[in-house]
Amino acid sequence: MHSRRQWLAGLPAAALLTPFLTLGAGFRAAAQEDALAYYKQAKIDWQQAKGQSLTIGLNKHPFTESLLPLIPEFRQLTGINIEYLILPEAEYFTKLVADLSQQRGEFSVIMTGPMRNWQYVPPNWILPLDDFLKNPKLTDAAWYKLDDFYPALTAANRWNGKDGSGVGEGPLYSIPVLEESYILAYRKDIFDQHDIKVPTTLEEMAEAARQVKKNAGIPGITARGTPSLASMGTGFISGLKSYTDGQWRELDDKLVANLHDPRSVKYTELWIDMVRESGPPNWANTQWYDAMEAFTAGQAGMIADADFFAASYEDPKKSKVAGKVGYALLPAGPGGKTYSGLWTWALGISRATRNKDAAWLFVQWATAQRTLLNATVGYRNYNPSRQSVTNDPRVQEIMAGWGGGSYLKTVAKNLETARVAWVPQSERQRLGDIWARALHEVYFKRLSAADALKKASGEVDKVLKEAGIK
Amino acid sequence: MTAALTPPSRMTAPPPHMNGEGYKRRRRPDRFLPYLLLSPALVLLAGMIYPFGLGLYYSFTSYWLQYPNRFRFVWLDNYINLVEEPLFARALEFTLGFTVAAVAIQVGLGLAVALFLHARIPGRGAIRALMLMPLMMPPVITALMWKIMMASTTAGILNYLLSFVGVDPVNWFGSTQGAVVSVMIIDTWGNLPFVALILLGGLQALPTEPYEAAKVDGAGPITTLRYVTLPLLSPFIVLVVLFRAMDSLRIFDVIYATTLGGPNDATTNLHIMAYQYSFQWFQMGKGMAQAIVLLLLVVVVSYLLMRLWNKAAESTV
Repeated sequence: MHSRRQWLAGLPAAALLTPFLTLGAGFRAAAQEDALAYYKQAKIDWQQAKGQSLTIGLNKHPFTESLLPLIPEFRQLTGINIEYLILPEAEYFTKLVADLSQQRGEFSVIMTGPMRNWQYVPPNWILPLDDFLKNPKLTDAAWYKLDDFYPALTAANRWNGKDGSGVGEGPLYSIPVLEESYILAYRKDIFDQHDIKVPTTLEEMAEAARQVKKNAGIPGITARGTPSLASMGTGFISGLKSYTDGQWRELDDKLVANLHDPRSVKYTELWIDMVRESGPPNWANTQWYDAMEAFTAGQAGMIADADFFAASYEDPKKSKVAGKVGYALLPAGPGGKTYSGLWTWALGISRATRNKDAAWLFVQWATAQRTLLNATVGYRNYNPSRQSVTNDPRVQEIMAGWGGGSYLKTVAKNLETARVAWVPQSERQRLGDIWARALHEVYFKRLSAADALKKASGEVDKVLKEAGIK
Repeated sequence: MTAALTPPSRMTAPPPHMNGEGYKRRRRPDRFLPYLLLSPALVLLAGMIYPFGLGLYYSFTSYWLQYPNRFRFVWLDNYINLVEEPLFARALEFTLGFTVAAVAIQVGLGLAVALFLHARIPGRGAIRALMLMPLMMPPVITALMWKIMMASTTAGILNYLLSFVGVDPVNWFGSTQGAVVSVMIIDTWGNLPFVALILLGGLQALPTEPYEAAKVDGAGPITTLRYVTLPLLSPFIVLVVLFRAMDSLRIFDVIYATTLGGPNDATTNLHIMAYQYSFQWFQMGKGMAQAIVLLLLVVVVSYLLMRLWNKAAESTV
């Protein structure tokens, strides 16, 4: 009775509100129509896979967050039903490999990237996307504008499938949704106050770290240090590539491990000495977000890591260092140039999916200019993979002020020489894990850098042989 | 006596009206009833046996997820190769060492807590209720909570509190010894209530006569503890050692959430190693072999402790 009385009492209020609610719904529908209008400019039938279903495998990431609110739009545009599963990175890749290896097709569209593709291409787990791009029934090339993506990024997602070479050649396996290269971020206020020189060599970087620690009482540098691949693929390998003028590779032409190359040994000694002497005491347990948050919280003088971490450093809502950060290229080698690594999160399609055309329509929609612009402007999905997104006035307005303008210049300069740092082969994860463990042996003084890296090379050779890669 | 030897009525010949087709129809449900009642358990058992059997089978193969073409039956190679794997020796050493230390610390502290809560102290009920709180938290949440508190600088609340007693910031997870101690602290915090609860239950179930006799003989509290309480409590102690040993041998969540087995493999046990091989490097054959070795270790330790428990239980009857 009580609830019925409440319901009756609510009737007049509902009667009053109804016109406004209807009007509100009308506005929402109109807004959605506007949004769809952009996609409807493409001369393809978005409804050609109507009624089909897709499950998207997503890593927890700003790009993912930007997609979720737009999925109803995609449903309305295409009539395709979307389900998704979002997992943290480590769990995501484990689940993904389990699905791809069994070819169950649980995930139709996947979040991947160049180096991950090297694991999925040899066993034929993912589809090349070129046929979709060339098919006018599925893609309006003039509207989609593949050439709007930074050429280096699409090249990074191409591979000819041959172990040891061929990045940038062969089929395109995934479409990049962001760009990540590696630069040096430093506390400009501390450097200026104590007259510390912005480093251009690794030796200078170690000295700057020492000076920051001595003068400001905080770790001079923070860096990833957990014993896994994640610690190796950003600042460390980019620094090593630069230190050797881009000449050194972790595997030689015959796929023999080269971790113990004398230049690599010397670089490792300098790097480990630097983090041991001036880094955080828990370097060996520092993950990427620990390092990023330490710098954002003002607990480090420098960080050599992903360029887009700047979005966190420069966010005044949560950063203690917003407006106090300078950006520079990583220390160079004798040749004076830096050779940063490169990564792109990207969308690919599982070969086992039954609804391939629907999957491509989703990839095309999710990597369309408007979708990616929304991801960057609304959800801080940096750095843009499309040039038009970077050049958008709203994006320029946000990024132009970072580091007093030094951010955009540094990233642009960095991309001139940035390239995928690793030698393509499917055991990169294992190689990186072995390598990172060797760094721990050096850091904890169980072995010299030469011995630890020699041992690591031996382990890598054994794994590659066992995997049949060489 | 005669009545006791009379066979149950169901064993005797069927009554005349149950002969023929009618009897057969009614007997059939009887025959299947036990299986019907057992079916949930059988399904559950099959759900356990099938993955175990598959895992055992894979441990004899070269199963590697991303190289399906290289799948071979390799007999005992995965087990033999473990001996050559340097990490295996370190992981085995940590697994056993951690188990011995964790069981000793947790049972020792648990006994002290149980004795404290068994005593007539004011607010005993409230303390017992509060003590159970860690048991209600999932171990991963416990681990992440401690990881935040154990930040290596004074930004971590633990180091901040220690600074009041003049202790320099402890490098909890960044050093090899610190990481081992940290994992031990977290595991102990999460499991101490369980140990204390079992032992408290044991204390409350002990007979009062031996205590009265000890009192008459003039025994003090230490003597009573040593010669009355501990011997009588021994079945409970062995039982809790058994539970904690099994759990400590295969501890995973706390390590995975805090150290991932590092630094410098200092907290890598067999479980973490098996996980890395299986789900990080996708070498299922090797990973399963390591998991089987861990399983055998748990079974052997459990069997030995069960025998000890039987002896302790018999000696206190």
